[in-house]
Amino acid sequence: MNKKAVVELKQIKKSFPGVQALKGFDFNIYEHEILGLVGENGAGKTTLVKILNGLFHADGGEYFLRGKKSTIKDPLDAIKEGVGMVFQEGCTLPNLTIAENLFLCHEDVFKKNGFLQTRKMNQAAKELTKEMGLFVSPTTVCNQLTPAQKQMVEISRLLWLSKLYGKENPILILDEPTTVLLEKEVDNLFAILKEVKKQASIILISHRLEEIVENSDRIAIFKDGDFVTEMTQAEAEIEKIEQFMVGRELAEEHYRESEQRIPEEEVFLEVKDLSLNKFFEPISFKIHKGEIVSLVGLIGSGKEELCQCIAGTMKADQGDISILGKPVKIDSPKDSIRYKLGYIPIDRRQQGLAVDMDLVENINMLVFERLKKYGLLNRKKELENATKWAKETLVKAPSMRSKCANLSGGNQQKVVISKWLSADSQFLILDHPTRGIDVGAKDEIYHRIRQLSNEGKSLLIMCDTLEEDIGLSNRMLIMKDGLLVEEVQCPSDAKPAPVDVIASIV
Amino acid sequence: MKVIQKFKGYYSKYSVSGQILSLLIVALIFSIGTKGNYLNPKNIQTILGLAGIPIILCLGVHQVIIMGAMDLSMEGIIALSAVVSGFLIKNPHTSFDVGFWIFPIVMSIGGIAGMGNGIINTKLRMPSFITTLGISWAMFGLAVLISGGISIPIRDLRFQSIMNGEFLGIPWITIIALLAFAILFIIQRYTSLGKHMYAIGGDEILAKQAGVNVSKVKIIIFSITGALYGLAGLFLVARLNSSAARLGNNTLFPAMTAVAVGGVSLSGGVGGALNAVLGTIIVVALNNGLVLMQVNPYAQSAVNGIVLISAVAMTINRKKIGLIK
Repeated sequence: MNKKAVVELKQIKKSFPGVQALKGFDFNIYEHEILGLVGENGAGKTTLVKILNGLFHADGGEYFLRGKKSTIKDPLDAIKEGVGMVFQEGCTLPNLTIAENLFLCHEDVFKKNGFLQTRKMNQAAKELTKEMGLFVSPTTVCNQLTPAQKQMVEISRLLWLSKLYGKENPILILDEPTTVLLEKEVDNLFAILKEVKKQASIILISHRLEEIVENSDRIAIFKDGDFVTEMTQAEAEIEKIEQFMVGRELAEEHYRESEQRIPEEEVFLEVKDLSLNKFFEPISFKIHKGEIVSLVGLIGSGKEELCQCIAGTMKADQGDISILGKPVKIDSPKDSIRYKLGYIPIDRRQQGLAVDMDLVENINMLVFERLKKYGLLNRKKELENATKWAKETLVKAPSMRSKCANLSGGNQQKVVISKWLSADSQFLILDHPTRGIDVGAKDEIYHRIRQLSNEGKSLLIMCDTLEEDIGLSNRMLIMKDGLLVEEVQCPSDAKPAPVDVIASIV
Repeated sequence: MKVIQKFKGYYSKYSVSGQILSLLIVALIFSIGTKGNYLNPKNIQTILGLAGIPIILCLGVHQVIIMGAMDLSMEGIIALSAVVSGFLIKNPHTSFDVGFWIFPIVMSIGGIAGMGNGIINTKLRMPSFITTLGISWAMFGLAVLISGGISIPIRDLRFQSIMNGEFLGIPWITIIALLAFAILFIIQRYTSLGKHMYAIGGDEILAKQAGVNVSKVKIIIFSITGALYGLAGLFLVARLNSSAARLGNNTLFPAMTAVAVGGVSLSGGVGGALNAVLGTIIVVALNNGLVLMQVNPYAQSAVNGIVLISAVAMTINRKKIGLIK
């Protein structure tokens, strides 16, 4: 089939500190197609679409839109050029009506004698939403709508705007549109997208491969910032896609596998029938002393929430947690600290550190009680304790009194780890410990993780890539849609291949 | 309990059913308390007359609150407007006599001060809370400086007649306040400025992404608000037939209470001009009732404080605020 390209990307490149997000490849988007983008987290799909709609700008390469070099500066420009993104959480204003949201900032079309003709606005809104299969009064305030309905409002708005600006064949980008929808709504969404396709190109990003294979005309597979291959709907098979997604087998040692050891017999933490409504079903598992357990699953699988429940930042509905055989009650982070559980969050700057405070204060955050003399904090003791742990974790900083905001990502992460070690944590939850950290510092963190495990501490980790999960852990727990679906052993001499594991994840 | 549910479920952004219900409850309680005196036509006229200036002030401040910002500059702008009025209308201290030209003059003074609020807030990216508090004190200081801290009697009696006079039994000041209401009502419902104001209150970042010129809208709204304060300053002078910088004192608290009681959410995006008017009438009616029942003035103050906190508790959107600071 000879199709006309709406978007042509030539040798497109984008890098962020420490990561080459897009490595430079050619890529086209054609008229009237539904294009599925697949790849692991961090494969570059999101970066790609953010370049399309102007949120990011490519470092290298060229972006042609309808045959001309793109002049898109920001998402607002992109909308005027007929490139729009429908966000997962939706970006309708919660306090405006459907009609007001649809025409926001372009109300002037409905102006007569200086005043808006609200009746006309509502009438137009009614017709537009009807085309999307949305039969709700246009005067409904948007916070009353379901996520599916909000999506429809946004799609209508983007289509209407591209018409208003006279742009043929707009490009709609849908980032994980189905995670917030019910099954029936998903079917409805795709039925409508197939209609919309007649006048637009649709880019679909989804972790649910079944959905992509079933609904896309063309599927593009990304891996580590590179465009791997594409296939038509007829050629597409889930197994084949999975193969491309994970790519090469692990060849050499990346994750210090030789330092991995067999955990102790003694169980440190036991979770029994823990559940949280809407996030995960009753889950039970044990973590031994000195064991590294990796929790694997997609966004929305419930793994994040499970970790938060153990760390005390969220509260589970039901179930028990016991430590060294004794049942404990963890209702708040304070409890988890008391039981020597540590949580190293994904967002270091927001949740892990007080970035405007110095190293000493951050490292001592949990142990101020210990550093008192005559009831007051003793600066000498503070400095001693912090220096000891900073040395231990190889933090590199100009001085112990430097602000944490000025440290590199890797060093910040080490400060967070020092903080928990100084509090004598016996169990650490590491939420994406190497996110945004350069290769050298990554290896130091891997080494640290191994060392902790060898000291008999237990770790629960969630990693950026499946390879990292497999490489680091003794055992993987795989979660999907709120259920613990599989448990995979990962001994250092017989690591499973990512290809074999990914099937149970997606 | 049902009333609270009604308050909390303000899905429509203009809903006033809770306010009408509250007004009826206030009326009922005081009618019983005063054995019917409360609802006689003379007292209703009094309430409407008393509500005139507070309605203008509340109409001003509520727009800023709809945008999710805060405006505390009321007392300072009133002070400046009052002192300028004192010197420009016929008076024993100066030879000026601008007559009714004083209306555009005080509205411009207020408007410029309000524009200052808007520009500092958006261009210098200062929190509106601090900006407007600072402007308020600066304006108050300027007013005291100009007037030398004295009261200035007004020799043009037409102004007092605006405050005393009535038309078809309704005080003129009330009619002017309702006119201001009508203009804001139309702006809010039938202009893009109004729509954008709500969009900013709903979510400033999303509004910006949708193409709303946030700075422009904020500066315009702050200016309109300032102009209304200026106007109210002039009426306060007219009521006393004398001008002084302290005329604005103790106007902020009742206006804030009225905004909250009217159902304008302090978290922004919800409420409208009708809420502001009804909120003010409720607060004025409540205070009038307490006076008629000869409640101790200190107890009245306590009642107002409690009313403010309860009203905010019922209308604030805690989900949106996240951290309570």
